[in-house]
Amino acid sequence: MSTQYKINKLDTSGVGPLVDRHWRELREAKEKGMKIAWCAGPMFVYAYATPNIASHFMAGYAAYCGGRGMADEVLEAAERYGELRDTCSYHRLHTGMAAMIMNDWPVSNPQVLLPMPDLLIGGRFCTEMSHYMEAIHRRFGVKAVTIEIPSARSREDLPRLEKFLTNQVKETLIPAIEEVSGSKFDEENMRSILRPWKETCIIRNKCWEFFKKKPSPWTLWDYGVSIAPVFYAMGKPESLEYYNNLLKQLEERTEKNIPAVHPDGEKYRLYWDGWLPWSFLGKFIRMMIPYGAIPIAGRYPWEFFPHPEDINTEADDIIHEWIRLIYTSPNTLSYHDGPWGGQEHIEDLIQTYSIDGMLFFSSKTCRMWNLGQQEIIANIEKKYGIPGIVIDGDMIDSTMVSEDQIRTRIEALLETIDARRR
Amino acid sequence: MAVVAGVDVGSLCTKTVILDGNGKILSYDIMRSGHYYKGAAEESIENALKSAGLKKGDISYTLGTGYGRGAVAEADAEVTEITCHARGAARLFPEVHTVIDIGGQDSKVIGIGDNGRVTNFVMNDKCAAGTGRFLEVMALALSVDIGEMGDLFFASKEKVDVSSMCTVFAESEVISLFARGHKKADIAAGIAHAIARRIMGMVGQVGLREKVVMSGGVAKNAGVVRAIEERIETSLLVPHEPQIVGAFGAAIIASERMSATIG
Ligand code: SF4
Repeated sequence: MSTQYKINKLDTSGVGPLVDRHWRELREAKEKGMKIAWCAGPMFVYAYATPNIASHFMAGYAAYCGGRGMADEVLEAAERYGELRDTCSYHRLHTGMAAMIMNDWPVSNPQVLLPMPDLLIGGRFCTEMSHYMEAIHRRFGVKAVTIEIPSARSREDLPRLEKFLTNQVKETLIPAIEEVSGSKFDEENMRSILRPWKETCIIRNKCWEFFKKKPSPWTLWDYGVSIAPVFYAMGKPESLEYYNNLLKQLEERTEKNIPAVHPDGEKYRLYWDGWLPWSFLGKFIRMMIPYGAIPIAGRYPWEFFPHPEDINTEADDIIHEWIRLIYTSPNTLSYHDGPWGGQEHIEDLIQTYSIDGMLFFSSKTCRMWNLGQQEIIANIEKKYGIPGIVIDGDMIDSTMVSEDQIRTRIEALLETIDARRR
Repeated sequence: MAVVAGVDVGSLCTKTVILDGNGKILSYDIMRSGHYYKGAAEESIENALKSAGLKKGDISYTLGTGYGRGAVAEADAEVTEITCHARGAARLFPEVHTVIDIGGQDSKVIGIGDNGRVTNFVMNDKCAAGTGRFLEVMALALSVDIGEMGDLFFASKEKVDVSSMCTVFAESEVISLFARGHKKADIAAGIAHAIARRIMGMVGQVGLREKVVMSGGVAKNAGVVRAIEERIETSLLVPHEPQIVGAFGAAIIASERMSATIG
């Protein structure tokens, strides 16, 4: 009789109240007459550090909406408004939400309606991002600023690119934030946010290290859920408290040899590439756990999030220091570091975290990670004998996720791993 | 002598293969799945047992595969159709390195290593484009029997493009090609080429390695087989009964599991 595996979830219940509070405070801020910025990409911090303007993190909203089972309703509103279905679902979600507010359309959970923005801030990693900002600007008359974030092709590019970004922020973004908020951007306030925030990030990154343990004390999904506090309560004591508690749990589990999967730890350690499927985290993990399979490492949750270990929070030019953070994280750099950066970084993760198989999540509406996935799988399979599959789906749009197809692919991957073990 | 069964419950057809203790096919059955997969699995097993002159109790191990694998009440275990097709094809053609399987509602390309194990695979997304169902709808639009579609391919004289890969849009395209005076045979060939183009893309993703085996109901359509051969510039090995490759693979695995239990 085969082993009956069960998940032994880490206690991440601290996240919910922090997330709810963030969105509640955003609504209250508007009521108090503060201005609201919707931000996509890493440039939100400049609004966050300016008085009289509250910022909302757009990707975070997708996770929030998806996690509360509200994404479909809001996406449908976008379609009703006339949005194309193959537009990036993060974009559609915001169009849908704005359309619901502006047209007073009914919504089953009004908590997902955010205050309309007074400013849109985009950090352009992909072409969709500027269309996204421009479309909301055009449709709802909101001022939009998009900062170009070109990829570095080599380390020699960095000084030039950092300067290019810093100038954009100083010449375009900060004046726009000041104009909309009616307040001066406060450098000292930014430093005072970044000091405890840096400490928080370092603890969080220490938590990540626990994925090296065999058996693993937690899953990538626990980590994904724990992304929120670092942004939603940026520089606040409750954020630090959350990660300290997380670290303590992980240390305790490791010490007592308590695995993320009952009864005796994972049978398959899986690498997850691409965005996390926010609306379907439960659905996906339920397709893996019965077999003792867990996702334990991935590019997105590691690379995309801050690695501020060598950032100087006392720097004179704190605006530039944040740009340096975007570009100088070794992991972020590996992604930008020429055409093979992505694959090399994955190879690194695969070896460091003793991966047995790879799941490449291919979003139907965002091509950010998709290009070349099959090729990377084939190359890694050849080099290390580790098999991988591509899963088609979407982060939040359920009409693009077919459970049976995904289950068959995951099961086939596990069978392939088994066959190699024999 | 342990007799085993492999049951492949697909969206269009359910297939059963019964093997004797030496791995020899005693009988097989192919029937429409209909809407009641559990019933289809039961009936198909019964049909195969009958042809082999056996009764239920004679089967020592049953393995379910295919999208409806969960519906095989008799199953001792389930394995995905990816693994089963690979095993079935590798037993039939030990030199195989690529399997193209086009079934009722999905198509897949499977890469196979030198040891006969799966190296990688791709499956089509969530639509019937380029599958058995697609061909059925096209046959209906052409008012020909599905079995005639393959022969029509070879009677084609003029190149006609069927560009839409959406089943519904392709159907309207076929109707308008008719209206424009194109011949049935040319349209049938255009449909086969449209499927071949899609399959070529999937083969490209997995990486073409010879020998290439084609399985699934669509492999019975010689026109599609030829169109794929032309696109990938390789000849395809088609089993005598391409529809049972998955069920055969399932039966092989069942047999191995039986020997492991006995051994
Ligand atoms: S397309 Fe992808 S990377 Fe671009 S804005 Fe949308 S989710 Fe972000």
